[in-house]
Amino acid sequence: MAEKWRMIRPFFLILALHCLAIFLYTRGFLLTRTELSSFSHCSDASPCSHPLNSTSHSDPFRGRDRDHDQRCWTRPAVDRVVIIVLDALRYDFLSPSTFFEEKKPWMDKLTVLQRLAAKEPLSARIFKAIADPPTTSLQRLKGLTTGGLPTFIDVGNSFGAPAIVEDNLIHQMVQNGKRVLMMGDDTWLQLFPNHFKTAYPYPSFNVKDLDTVDNGVIKHLFPSLYQDDWDVLIAHFLGVDHAGHIFGVDSMPMVQKLEQYNSVLEKVVEVLKDQSGRGGLHENTLLIVMGDHGQTLNGDHGGGTAEEVETSFFVMSLRSPPPYVSSILDHSTCKLYLEGEMMCTSSMQQLDFAATLAALLGIPFPYGSIGRVNPEIYALSGGTWDGQWTEMRNQEHCSDLEEWMQNYINVLCINSWQVKRYIDMYSSAAVIGLPSEDLHHLGELYTQAQANLSNSTSSTCSALTLQRQIDAYFDYLGSVAKLARSAWTEFNLILMGAGLFVMILSIFIQLFTILRVNNLLELHYLVPGITSNPFRLVSALALVVIRAASFLSNSYILEEGSVASFLLGTTGILNLWSSIRTQKFTIEEPAFLFLNIFVRFGIMIGQSKKGVGSTSLNAHFLSSLDEGYTVWLILLEILPILVLSLLAFLLFRWISNSSSWRGFKYFYLVGVVGTYMLIVFHWISESNLLAIPLMLQDMGKNFAPRIVYAIGFGLLVATMLCQNVNQKGRASSPIEQITAATVAMLCAWSPTILILLGRQGPLVALVYLLGAWCIIKSQRGVQMEAKNGKEALVNDPISIAQWSLLGVCFFFYTGHWCTFDGLRYGAAFIGFDEFNIVRQGLLLAIDTFGVLHIIPILSLPLIVTLNHCYSKHSQVKANLFLVLTQVFMSYGLITALTTTFTIICVTIQRRHLMVWGLFAPKYVFDVLGLLLTDVFICFASLYYY
Amino acid sequence: MGSSAEIGPSKAFTLHLLCSLGLAAAYAIARDVFSWSLVTHPAPTLRLLFVVHAPFVVAAYSALRREPDHCSFLKAVGRGLLAIPFGALLNAFGAIVLGAPVGISYLPKTIYWSLIMSLFTFVPAACVVGSSRTGWQSILLVHSKPIEELDCMIILPAYGAIIGAWLGAWPMPLDWERPWQEWPICVTYGAVTGYLTGMLVTPVFILHMRRKARVKDD
Repeated sequence: MAEKWRMIRPFFLILALHCLAIFLYTRGFLLTRTELSSFSHCSDASPCSHPLNSTSHSDPFRGRDRDHDQRCWTRPAVDRVVIIVLDALRYDFLSPSTFFEEKKPWMDKLTVLQRLAAKEPLSARIFKAIADPPTTSLQRLKGLTTGGLPTFIDVGNSFGAPAIVEDNLIHQMVQNGKRVLMMGDDTWLQLFPNHFKTAYPYPSFNVKDLDTVDNGVIKHLFPSLYQDDWDVLIAHFLGVDHAGHIFGVDSMPMVQKLEQYNSVLEKVVEVLKDQSGRGGLHENTLLIVMGDHGQTLNGDHGGGTAEEVETSFFVMSLRSPPPYVSSILDHSTCKLYLEGEMMCTSSMQQLDFAATLAALLGIPFPYGSIGRVNPEIYALSGGTWDGQWTEMRNQEHCSDLEEWMQNYINVLCINSWQVKRYIDMYSSAAVIGLPSEDLHHLGELYTQAQANLSNSTSSTCSALTLQRQIDAYFDYLGSVAKLARSAWTEFNLILMGAGLFVMILSIFIQLFTILRVNNLLELHYLVPGITSNPFRLVSALALVVIRAASFLSNSYILEEGSVASFLLGTTGILNLWSSIRTQKFTIEEPAFLFLNIFVRFGIMIGQSKKGVGSTSLNAHFLSSLDEGYTVWLILLEILPILVLSLLAFLLFRWISNSSSWRGFKYFYLVGVVGTYMLIVFHWISESNLLAIPLMLQDMGKNFAPRIVYAIGFGLLVATMLCQNVNQKGRASSPIEQITAATVAMLCAWSPTILILLGRQGPLVALVYLLGAWCIIKSQRGVQMEAKNGKEALVNDPISIAQWSLLGVCFFFYTGHWCTFDGLRYGAAFIGFDEFNIVRQGLLLAIDTFGVLHIIPILSLPLIVTLNHCYSKHSQVKANLFLVLTQVFMSYGLITALTTTFTIICVTIQRRHLMVWGLFAPKYVFDVLGLLLTDVFICFASLYYY
Repeated sequence: MGSSAEIGPSKAFTLHLLCSLGLAAAYAIARDVFSWSLVTHPAPTLRLLFVVHAPFVVAAYSALRREPDHCSFLKAVGRGLLAIPFGALLNAFGAIVLGAPVGISYLPKTIYWSLIMSLFTFVPAACVVGSSRTGWQSILLVHSKPIEELDCMIILPAYGAIIGAWLGAWPMPLDWERPWQEWPICVTYGAVTGYLTGMLVTPVFILHMRRKARVKDD
């Protein structure tokens, strides 16, 4: 017993080390943010002197033209807003080329907006809007509407469905009676499934389609501009984004798209201006033309480079503010425009969008917004200049500008109060809060600003004092944004480094353990262990290192399946070569190569779904089959069933031939064959070929899979109990016993994994079995005469590497890949209709890691045991467990090595533009895989030893 | 086996120089006469390389055939020619196992590439050894006994070509979007580089072996 624990202990040590390393690294790298479910309400009381509340006492005539209930945090300054989102609108698409060193072909195409900004500087302006990474459309829309910084993983209860559960701008608009009309990119509908009064969504996934979305938007945009049944219009064009992805920025289609937008915008401005007269439909309308993020010259986006985060923002108020506005506006970046006029642009943060728009519309700021109300945009809309403050503070005669500043200070006061409320709430509710000393500092800044307000500015008109007060609020809000950015968008390099260090340490411990076991083998059993064949050891190590190092490049991560099959093929060729040279040629080696060809094409087909979107391809495939190929359809339905029967037959043969099962074998046979029949029943009831009674169909769809899971779990428990009983009396040889235990374990897992894999399952399992058999049979020199003449076992390092590569190949073969859209969400709902995070998460994990780690690890003992005649020698028995330890440890080392390289790669590439699209998901997959590997190795060692 | 012992480093060098010249001539013809390159016209260039290189290889290695008294030069040439399609099949199979694309558009390129690989790897051995089992064993089992110089001349370029081709496949998945990343262009570059390296190394290796043998004799 002590002997057993001594062999198991290292596995637990490694597990603990890996947990620590991953915890440290993840804390530093994967920034998380907890989504709060609180919402802002009109009735929330702020400590600021509320203009409308206070005026309603002093002046009963205030706001008589508005409904009393609609008054909210700030005074509404605009009536309607037209938001035109041009996806991936780079800053240099809109800004005049004089602002850049060199004029490029794609510049100066949106001349309408440029001319407006130059000719009417008091009501129209171009901004450079800085987005926060990740710069993908979905995250950006989320950021724009919630006013927060979405991180890679927003801890919340949205799993799979991206709908926003946090408070957001659209929610506030709807709550406060604004009618929102949406047209264009259907991402908006994913985010806000039932907020819009009317929506005209168009599918966004087909990147090659430059026009469908845009034409749809144009079709609905112009009629809507003449209507009065909306308050906020959102039109999201996608053409520029798609043109960038397909052709790049410097291309003819891109220029054409921009020219098309120019003519569209020209017409929009014309229509709006036509009706902007007193009493007109657009008397007090705000036009916003903005990008959600930028793009690189290749059309990529997602990362944090300047090209990706700098996007354009154009704002025009149909109701012009008074000329004093120019003293609010920033004049630091002005250049000569083409037509000889000066034109000024400013810079803003996209983070401020939600707060600014909410302030202009007079609705509560989203609860989680940490932006500030942008002074320039606020000043540009004429409604904020209405001299309504004079009536309240008639004791002094302030100028319009000073009144505006007082009004703005009030807005900022509400803004700061709301941000403070969120920060306080967040730090008490979040999983990982914010650093307390920073919070303390923020608290001080806030109190200071508030104290100033009550002391000095409540009744003064001095512009200087007012400006000081504005600066105090800016200081506070700026500090909050800085803290939020550091907590939610910046990496903690020290934690990352510590994690990496622990990871590398664990690798050395693993290597040390393998070598120590080797020493034990050499000392006690006089066999050379894993080093028996240096050439094979070196080539196995080289293959593993090549695969691990390939993760340093994004191209190889994208082609990981092909890389794995390339390396697997190489091992097959090496085996064949050495078998020819040693003249021990067996049929398994060429068979393995043929299997590799099969796997390779399978991977190609599995990965071809990646670009297109997994559902569309299947639908397309099936619809093309429908046209008169019913024979094929039937064959597609029947083939899996036939292969499944073949599998059951093989299992039957295998189990009934083995002698060490005693009575248990019939138990297993009934269980496994029964579940296989249930799986077949489930498939038949899912297909449309046979007309089955509805009740039976329901049973097949939901109950059959549940019974399969239950039986699978029951078998697993039974297997573990049996093994415990078996260990008491070791009647048969240890090798035979371990083989039987392994097969029993695989039997227990097989039904669950097969049903989750779906119809491809049986074929995958069959090819997997054949591949594994070939690997086992083409091992070299694993049974050798020890120096004392007795028989002993050693390991073949190449076959362990092959075992792990085979798992990787089948991961891709079964249609997975290492991003979150590569998860087969459908598998999680086999047998269940409703969502439960634990249950569905478990099923999804089994489906994802089933062929990648679970099956390979649990079947690892077969590598050692199947190649030996069943000798009862006691030396073999003791030797066996040492060899098993070495095998498990080597497998763990392979996984740990690849994961370490992934971590190194992620560390190096953390500023890469694909970091959130590619490297981070890969990191999450590998890290989860590594932990699962360790857990299963521990489990297997407890079970088998 | 008398003939094989007489191969010296200089002879090996001359022979390999001849083979390299064949390859270089083919490349020069493709570039200057037809103005093709591997990147712009992969299939015709590979075909030309094969057609020009084949006579050099077959003739050179047939001249080195084992037991020249029992086997005429023409017979050696004949078996060399016969070996070309066999070797091509083996190479094409290996390439497809490792992930070479298949499809109608790739078919001619793959065929010509595997024919050239056959010239690099399989044909020399076939010319020299023919169908004798012991001869093949002596080539394959280099580790088990002192290596012969003739075996060396066959094996080193062949290994070089295979390892070069294997390494040449590495840049293919990278997203550099260069035309030479297409199958089989970079693999051919790798194979030719490896082949030439192998041929360069052979005389050096033979010289080294001789020196070692002399030390042993002393």
